[in-house]
Amino acid sequence: MSDMQSARRDLSCPTLPGPDVRKIIAGVLLIVLVLFGQQLYGRVTAAGRLNPALQGATGPRNVIVVLDFIPDRFHNERVAEYGVFAGRDGTLNRIRLRNVSPDSLARLAAVAWVARIEPLP
Amino acid sequence: MSMAKASNRSSARRALDQVAWRLLPLVPFALVLAAWIAYWTIARPPPATLPAVPDVAAALWELAAKGELATHVAASLWRLLLGVLLGAISGVIGGFIVGLNRSVSEFISPLVVFFNAISGIVWLPLVIGWLGIGTALAVFLIWNTVFFIVFQNTVLGVQLVPQVYEQGVQALGGGRWETIRTVILPGALPYILTGLRSGLGFGWRALIAAELVGATTGLGQMIFGATEYHRSDIIIGGCLIIGVIAIAMDRWLLLPIEQRTIERWGLVFDARKEE
Amino acid sequence: MSASAARSAPARLREHRKGLAAGRPLRNLKILLPFAVLVAAWWAIYLSVDFSPQVLVSPLAVWRAFAHLVSHGVMAEYASTSLRMIGFAALLSLLVGVPMGFAVGINRYAAHALDGFLRFLQGISGIAWLPLAIIWFGFTHTTTLVIVIYTLIVPIVFNTMIGVRAIPEAYTLALRSLGASRLRLVKDVYLPGALPSIVVGLRLGMGYGWRALIAAEMLVRKGGLGDLIFGARTFGQIDRIITGMIVIGCLYIVVDRLIIQPIENLTIARWGVLRQ
Repeated sequence: MSDMQSARRDLSCPTLPGPDVRKIIAGVLLIVLVLFGQQLYGRVTAAGRLNPALQGATGPRNVIVVLDFIPDRFHNERVAEYGVFAGRDGTLNRIRLRNVSPDSLARLAAVAWVARIEPLP
Repeated sequence: MSMAKASNRSSARRALDQVAWRLLPLVPFALVLAAWIAYWTIARPPPATLPAVPDVAAALWELAAKGELATHVAASLWRLLLGVLLGAISGVIGGFIVGLNRSVSEFISPLVVFFNAISGIVWLPLVIGWLGIGTALAVFLIWNTVFFIVFQNTVLGVQLVPQVYEQGVQALGGGRWETIRTVILPGALPYILTGLRSGLGFGWRALIAAELVGATTGLGQMIFGATEYHRSDIIIGGCLIIGVIAIAMDRWLLLPIEQRTIERWGLVFDARKEE
Repeated sequence: MSASAARSAPARLREHRKGLAAGRPLRNLKILLPFAVLVAAWWAIYLSVDFSPQVLVSPLAVWRAFAHLVSHGVMAEYASTSLRMIGFAALLSLLVGVPMGFAVGINRYAAHALDGFLRFLQGISGIAWLPLAIIWFGFTHTTTLVIVIYTLIVPIVFNTMIGVRAIPEAYTLALRSLGASRLRLVKDVYLPGALPSIVVGLRLGMGYGWRALIAAEMLVRKGGLGDLIFGARTFGQIDRIITGMIVIGCLYIVVDRLIIQPIENLTIARWGVLRQ
């Protein structure tokens, strides 16, 4: 009698997705992590990067992009996409950019490997 | 009398059908050729973009006459031979060692999956520092490609030999070596041959890729070198030769070997001709 | 009746499932152990022989290079470029290749005609066409995409063709005798029947395509993991090369074993009945 009851209970319980479906979910999640993980992290921490003086900018600004490391050509190229490259600010890891539009500023702040964005005096 | 005429007509039609069936595979090639000629006559593209058909033939003829073509083909085939031999021998030996030992094969399996995932050209930047440009690099890359294919197929073949045959030989008093020679080897042979056939195809493709990036002679280098001078005629001609050699090797070298060995050992195996 | 025999089937199934759940961490360990041994052997060899850093680096150096590339945003971008490229190429190849495979597979003569031609094209790997693609499209992403699609589409068309041809005529005849339209036939017979083969073709294609992608990226040098490892070669950065190689292998394994192979299993489980 108790066996029949447990049988009915098992049939009504929803079964876990099979091993194949679990693998697919895990695989897709991993790929999504690779594709968007760092971008997402950058976007979530964007507020901390932008100097308060630059928040809510309405027109193009001149900024200093500060990195935590000496940039490769890769990083110089990427940073230069957001404004007009205007040389270094003292050390190699401080890059001057002119004419950065508010939209580009927001996007630059969302880049995960940028440490800070300071206003260019 | 009319029956004889009718049967003559149907046998003639059957013969015609057979001929048509044989010629059918040539149709796509003919269509591509026709499209090429048509496009060239109508659009007159610059020779660097799409050369005329006779230009390609002329370029090939010129290379053949100068002996360059033979040099390149020989260099490529030589590298292929070395790489495939090394890959096949190491693959079969490795496959037997691992296939016969279940715990070893279970342990090694994840490693094989991983190294198979990076087999071939992915090793190029690393190995070019060890072996430089040239034949050694190409042979390594081919060996790498062929080894994993032959190895995996051999392991599969060895493991799939029905245990009852092994036990039969052992019951008759045969030792380990006896078992391997008389039962496992013939039993695994279809898989080994499939692996060799695949391996040869993959090896040829890996060779061309390797020569594109790191060689001084060979068909791959021939077509890549021609890029600098915008000689599309050489490139297209070279590609056609690469394709012809691939088909020739598969059809006239391997397929007969595969069929004859399977016939000889009378193995019941659905030789997958379409794969 | 003994206590064990009195246990019902559902109870046994529950225990079996619990056993499986307990076994999973053990199975994961079994997968990781060989790699741990490999890294240990690598380290041992590295320590015992005095290798120049141009030839081999230690596992630690590789790990540091990986951390460096990730924290500097380099790895994410190059890996994403490659993944996007293969994904896009796979999508396009399926959209074009499957209908082509259907169209050809349905007709016996077309299938026989194209068999040799497709093999020929496969023999000239996509990479061999790279020089021509460079002349036509330059050193751009278009070149890479064209080559990868070429490499991917041939196995897809081929296997779709095989899949369609393997469907027993009885099924198509049965539905047609019930008055089904062509479209209905495709949806209810051809597509499910050929689906396992299509996925097999996709899997093969991804194997060829991923390799072709890496090779193309090495030559075109416009981003992607092939560019990363080939570029690192120029500076002799063996640690970056090995990192790149490992990432290339791991990404392929994730896509192949965690996504495509389970899909293959599911389609065969559901529609593979037709094969018998």
